[in-house]
Amino acid sequence: MPAKPILRLRGVRKIFGRFTALHGIDLDIEEGEFFTIVGPSGSGKSTIIRLLVGMDEVTSGEIWLRDKRIDQTPANLRPTCMVFQSLALFPHMSVGQNIEFPLKLRKIEPAKRKARALELLKLLHLPEHYYDKRVTECSGGERQRIALARALAFDPEILFFDEPLSALDYRLRKSLEKELKSLHARTGKTFVYITHSLEEAMVMSDRIAIMKTGRFEQISDADEIYSKPVSRFVAEFMGEVNLFDVTATAGRIEGAGLSAAQGAATRPMADKIAATRGATLMIRPEYVQFLQDGENADFEVTGTLQGIYALGSRIHYEIRTESGQILTVEKLREDRHDGREGDTVRLGWNADSAHVIEEPAFEEQMA
Amino acid sequence: METSRTTRIVLMIYGIGIIAFLYLPLVSVAFASVSKARYLTFPIRRYTTGWFADALASKEVHMLAMTSLKIAMIVTILSMIIGFFGALAFARYQWRYRSLFQKLVLLPIFFPQTVLGLALLMWFNSIGIIPSWKTAIVAHLVWIAPIATLIVAIRAYSFDPALEEAARDMGASTPVILREITLPLLMPGIVAAGLFSFLLSWGNFPLSLFTTGADSTLPEWLYAKMVSGYSPLVPTLGILSVIGSFLLIIVAFAGLAIYRALRPQK
Amino acid sequence: MRRLDSKLGALSSLPMLAVLALAFIAPLGLVAIFSIMPEKVFSIFNMPNFAAFKTMADQGYYKSLLWSLFMAFAATTILFVICWPLAYGMAKVFKRFALVVTIAVVMSLFVSENIRLFGWVLTLMKGGLFEGYLRHWTGIGFNSPLYNVGIIIFGIVYVYLPFMLFPLAQGISMVPDDARQAARDLGATRWQVLTQIDLPLAAPGIMVGYLLTFVLAAGAMAEAKILGGRAVIVIADDIQTAFTYGQNWSLGAALSMVLIVLIGALAIYGIAKIDLDKIMGRG
Repeated sequence: MPAKPILRLRGVRKIFGRFTALHGIDLDIEEGEFFTIVGPSGSGKSTIIRLLVGMDEVTSGEIWLRDKRIDQTPANLRPTCMVFQSLALFPHMSVGQNIEFPLKLRKIEPAKRKARALELLKLLHLPEHYYDKRVTECSGGERQRIALARALAFDPEILFFDEPLSALDYRLRKSLEKELKSLHARTGKTFVYITHSLEEAMVMSDRIAIMKTGRFEQISDADEIYSKPVSRFVAEFMGEVNLFDVTATAGRIEGAGLSAAQGAATRPMADKIAATRGATLMIRPEYVQFLQDGENADFEVTGTLQGIYALGSRIHYEIRTESGQILTVEKLREDRHDGREGDTVRLGWNADSAHVIEEPAFEEQMA
Repeated sequence: METSRTTRIVLMIYGIGIIAFLYLPLVSVAFASVSKARYLTFPIRRYTTGWFADALASKEVHMLAMTSLKIAMIVTILSMIIGFFGALAFARYQWRYRSLFQKLVLLPIFFPQTVLGLALLMWFNSIGIIPSWKTAIVAHLVWIAPIATLIVAIRAYSFDPALEEAARDMGASTPVILREITLPLLMPGIVAAGLFSFLLSWGNFPLSLFTTGADSTLPEWLYAKMVSGYSPLVPTLGILSVIGSFLLIIVAFAGLAIYRALRPQK
Repeated sequence: MRRLDSKLGALSSLPMLAVLALAFIAPLGLVAIFSIMPEKVFSIFNMPNFAAFKTMADQGYYKSLLWSLFMAFAATTILFVICWPLAYGMAKVFKRFALVVTIAVVMSLFVSENIRLFGWVLTLMKGGLFEGYLRHWTGIGFNSPLYNVGIIIFGIVYVYLPFMLFPLAQGISMVPDDARQAARDLGATRWQVLTQIDLPLAAPGIMVGYLLTFVLAAGAMAEAKILGGRAVIVIADDIQTAFTYGQNWSLGAALSMVLIVLIGALAIYGIAKIDLDKIMGRG
C-alpha cells in the first residue's frame, strides 16, 4: 500500500551568509517509518532537522506535511515535535510538569493531563512516583525517557530526534537504541532521527540517508548501505573497509597487487568497471579469507602479515600487499588464522562478496 | 598548583585583615552611636541608647527614611523589569547590535556618579522638570538598572536556549515561553538583582545629592551634617541605616532558605 | 529562529535603551552643548564660544583636574598591589572561604560610602578610636593623620577596593591551572610564573580593574571632602561649585567635558577590548 509520504521536501536549500548548508534537497518520508539521517558534523543534518521543526527558515524550496505546506509555519504551530540533543528538560519543573507541558499549553484539564502523564511514564518504564520527582535528580537514562514521554504527550505527527543519545555512555546508549526501536513499533509513529553514528542508525532504522556537505549521498536500508555503498564516502563511513583502484579491459579486472580470475563470476563486475571513468573494488574485512596452498578465489592478493590485534570476539589482521597497500582482515576468534607477524600470506575473496563503486578509489580528481 | 598550607593560611589571614579593614570604620560609628557625650572622644565613658530613641522619634528622620524607601522601592521594581529584558538582550538573544548594546550598558557603571548627578540636574532644569524624589529615581536607574542587567545576565548566560526552542516546538508562543520558561528560570537572578538594586539605591548618595531637589534622602542628610559639623545623630542614623540594610539581607537569605525547604520534592 | 532572535533582542533592549537615552546620553549631550555656551547663561540658545574653557585655563582649574587624576592613579596602583594576593587567594586557593570574602566585601558596598568614610574620621581623629585608646593605655598620643593628600588617597583606596578586587579575581580565575603547573614543571620560579603566566593571562581582569577603579576614583568627591577636609580641591568639587554656588553652568559643563572626555576615552577603550561573553560565562 504505497500511501502518500507523510513528509516531502522539494528543492530545500539553506544558505547562511556565504555558506550553503543545504543544496536543494528532495526527500520523501513514509508514514510510520523510522528514518535516520546520518552524517559527520557540518554535513547539514542538523540544519535539515532545524528546518523541519521550524527553528530555522528555508532559503528556498518547499516542505510538505501530508497536504499542507509547512515551510513558512512557525515552530509552535507545526504538529511535529523534537527530542533535543540536550533533551531540553525544564529544570524548574517536576517530571510530571515536564510531561504535561504540551497538554497544559492546549488547556487540557489537570486530571486528564495527569492521567496521560502517568500512562506515558508506564509506557517508558518509569515508576509512577517519578511524577513528582525533580528532573534535575534523574539519571541520564531516566532523563532520556522523560524527554521522550514529553514529546509523546505532544502527540506529534512526526517525532524528530536530534542526536539524543550522544551524551550517554556506550552501554546505556546500546540499550536505549533497542528501546527506541521497540517504542517506534509500539506507537506506530513516524520517527525521524539524526545522528553521526551509522552504527546507531543501522540498529534502529527502516531507512537511512547518508549526508555529505549539504547533499544526500545515499538513501537506502541498512543492508544495502553496508554492502552496496554508492560512494567511497559511504563505504568508509561504517567501519573498516578495503578499497582497490581498478580498471577493466576485455573482461579482465586489473588493480595494483590484485589478481582477478576471469570467468562468469567476475564478468558482470568487469563490464560494470569497464563502463566507468574510474572504479573502486570494495571488500569488507570479514569477507577476506586466508587462502591455503592450492586454494583459489575470484580475487587474490599476496602480502606480508604486519599486525595482529585482538578485539575480544574478533581478531583483526593487517596485511601489507606487494604494492604497498594495507589490507585489513577480520576473523571470529574461532576462525583465527595461525600466523605470525612477518609471514607471507595469500588472501582471497569471491566476486559475490565484493562490490564495485563507480568512483576512483584514490581521488585523482582532487582539484 | 599545590598550594602549601602556609600560603593558604597566610592568604586567609590577609583576607580576614582586608575584611576587618573594610568594616573597622563601622565599628567606630557603632561606638559613637551609643556614646553619651555630645562631643565624641574615645575611650567612651558613658553609654546611652538615647540617640536611637531620639532618632526613631524624630519626624525629620521619618521623612528622610520614607523618601529613601520610596525611591529604593520604585528603583528596585523598575530595575528588575529593565534588568530582566535587558539581560535577555545582553546574553540570550543573538541579535545584530548585541555587542554594542552590551558596551552601552556598561558605560554608566564606568562613569563617575557625581558628574552624572550634576549632568542630570542640569538636564532636568533645562527641560523644565523641578528636581524631587521622583527625579532621583531616574538618576538611580541610570546607574542601577545596568548593574541589575549584569546580574540577571550572569544567569541568562547559563541558560540553555534549547529550553525555549523546545517549548516553542511544543506549541508555546513567545509570551507563553517568557512566562512559563524564561521568567521562572531567570527568577533567582532577578531576585538577586532586586536585592542589589534596593541596597544600592538605599545607600546611594552621589546621585541623590544633586537630583532630589528639595527632598532629601538619609545618606544625603548625613553627608550634609558631616561636612558642616558633628551631630550625635549622624553615627546613630548611620548605624540605623546599616542595620536596615543588613536586616534586609538576612530576611532575603532566610526567605531563600525557607523557599528551598518548602520547595516540592520527590 | 535567527530572525525571531533579532526581533526579540531588539525589543527587549528597549526599556534599558530608553533609560540610557533619556537619562544618560541626552544629559551628557546637553553638558557638551553647554560647555561651549557663553558663561552664566541658562539656555542653549546663545552664540557658542569657548569662554568657559578659557576661564578654566586662566583660573587654574587644571590643578584640581591634575590632583584628581594623580590621586586616582596613585590609589589605583596601591589597590592593585593590595588586591592581587587576596584576588589570587579567592580565585585559586580558598574554597568556601572565597564565598565568605565575596559576601563580606559586597555587603560593605551596601553601606553608604559617606557613612564608611565618616567612620574613618571617628577612627583616626584626635580623640578617635585609635588615638583615644592609645593615649588612654600608654599616655602617648599622636596628631590626627586627617586632612591631607595622603589620607584622601587612603580614602579612595578604601572606597574602591571592591572594584579592583572582583575584576582581578575574575581575571586570575581565567588563568588555567595546568598552564601554571606546566610552567612550574618546566622549571619556572614563582616569580616567573607570576610574570610569565599569571599577569599576561589575567590581563583582561587587570585591565577592567584598573580602568574601573581609575575612572570612578577620578570623579570621586566624598573622600576629599570628608577625610581630606578640602586639603585639595578635586575636579568633581569644582564642577559642583560651578553648577551650584557659582551658577556658572558653562564653566561646570566645560570642566565636566574635560573629565568626561578623558575618562570616557579610557572607559570606551577598555570596554571595547573586553569580551563580555567570555568573562561572564559563555566561554
